[in-house]
Amino acid sequence: MTQAASATSEVHFAQPNLGEQLAAMSDQALDGLDFGVIGFDGGTFVTRYNAFESKAAGLPPNRVLGQPLFTVVAPCMNNFMVAQRFEDAHDSGEALDATIDYVLTLRMRPVKVALRLIASPASGTRYVLVRRAT
Amino acid sequence: MTEADRLQEERDEHEALLQFLYLAPTGLVQAALDGAIAMMNPVAAQLLMPLAADSSLDNLFTALEGVAPDLRLLCRDFAAPQGIVCDGKYLHIQAGTQGRNAARVLSLSVVKLGETRLMAVLTDVTAQVRRERELRQTDAWLNAIITSIADYALVRLDHEGRIESWNESIGRVTGFTAAQTVGQSYALFYPAGATTREHLSDRLREADRDGWSLDDGMRLRADGSSFRATVMISPLPELDEDGASAYSLVIRDVGDKAPAGERARHAALSDYLTGLGNRRAFFESAELELERRVHVPRPTAMIMIDADHFKAINDQHGHAAGDAVLRHLGDCLKHTFREVDVVARVGGEEFAVLLPSTSMAGAAAVAERLRMLVAAAAVNVGAASISYTVSAGVAAVDAEATSLEALMKRADQALYAAKGAGRNRVVSWTEALADSTAAALEGGDGH
Repeated sequence: MTQAASATSEVHFAQPNLGEQLAAMSDQALDGLDFGVIGFDGGTFVTRYNAFESKAAGLPPNRVLGQPLFTVVAPCMNNFMVAQRFEDAHDSGEALDATIDYVLTLRMRPVKVALRLIASPASGTRYVLVRRAT
Repeated sequence: MTEADRLQEERDEHEALLQFLYLAPTGLVQAALDGAIAMMNPVAAQLLMPLAADSSLDNLFTALEGVAPDLRLLCRDFAAPQGIVCDGKYLHIQAGTQGRNAARVLSLSVVKLGETRLMAVLTDVTAQVRRERELRQTDAWLNAIITSIADYALVRLDHEGRIESWNESIGRVTGFTAAQTVGQSYALFYPAGATTREHLSDRLREADRDGWSLDDGMRLRADGSSFRATVMISPLPELDEDGASAYSLVIRDVGDKAPAGERARHAALSDYLTGLGNRRAFFESAELELERRVHVPRPTAMIMIDADHFKAINDQHGHAAGDAVLRHLGDCLKHTFREVDVVARVGGEEFAVLLPSTSMAGAAAVAERLRMLVAAAAVNVGAASISYTVSAGVAAVDAEATSLEALMKRADQALYAAKGAGRNRVVSWTEALADSTAAALEGGDGH
């Protein structure tokens, strides 16, 4: 991974306060990360989608950006384990930062991943971060 | 057309097919015959992930173990090279653990595609099930009208359900004489254990509210034999001499054969291995019973029963022996509990019983009877003679615990305590258990 040693390689999937870091990063900087980043707004419309996630999911950003995350882009997350956690955090006005084991269904194939769910009342953008199990 | 064009066309077709499956608004899974998952679409993951205790979707049977414990066996026993293994089987998901908009009932169909592949189709049918229950009442009403009947008896009941007078039709259908009937509760026509005092008055109340109350089941003749009947109670328009309401009770002898609709319904509500009720039967009947309780309070108890060290039995003697033990336990349950009790297999080796009009102490006594019955028996499988035991947790409705979830949680806590205290025992729920098990279960997924 030496050739990927850019400024952004200092940002890791599991590090604390990741939400603030991501908010401060440009889209180009997000593209340099080695895990998937999906940012979405209060209406669940996808606002940020990095190169890693686009490549792993096989979806070009233009087919994802502006689409509702839980009904069109990732229906597999539309349950109490993911979608409802964001709703609950919003309703209670509390911050959310949780990492869970999950299974995504890319091209009909089940793929084990870790998902990190990040939201804070102060920020308009929420994040689902995806780390593929190695 | 060039070779390159044809390849491109094939790729496009493949892509379109993939998208078609991927975006289907229903859960699709392809698995091997042992349940190993090869393909699934997003809706399948959405519905299955909350059920998979280990957060992995490697195996369909494992993921559905908690809500369809008989699925593995059902698929294994399906001998034909291809065909429908199950069609629209309802899977009931325990409420309360999954938050508000969660699916409560899933419909599962499994198709065997050949010697190596199964296809499973999953749909969230929570809303349909609620509507279906209402429709079923109407169905029963129609059935009663069109079913050809052998004979019927017309009985007049007073406001408390006592038989007011005798007539020839009562004698013809049931064999009871005037001296045996007049002044008696209409419980007279039920076999022992098939109803409770509260259920008898529930029916009168239902008739007041809806204009009629209908049920199917076995009824008793004077000579002790029983017959299949459809029974309808409706309020009479005129009041009796004391100004109280009165009812007409029509008992229709429908002959030996259950109507086809009822047979299909019975199959949908039965556990394939043990012949007991399944989770669907349990949740439906238990919720109905607790609803009735809201109008007319009465004691209601629940027992959760678990076969001790069941995994060790499976490991030591094999799955066929494990199945034989579960069938044996099912027979012991049928033998021990009343017809009016709701007895069901709700998990792999876990059984639940709801006992209408029964106190905690009463339920604990029956559970103890079951425990002794099981402990004294042995199951013969091939050359092996397997002895096993059960643990049971007992809970009862009180001011704090009135919902099915609350009652199940308490019975589970008591069961957990019975396991913790060394198994082969019955523990009744106390407040102290709630605190200690809450602490013990902290951070874990329960037992």
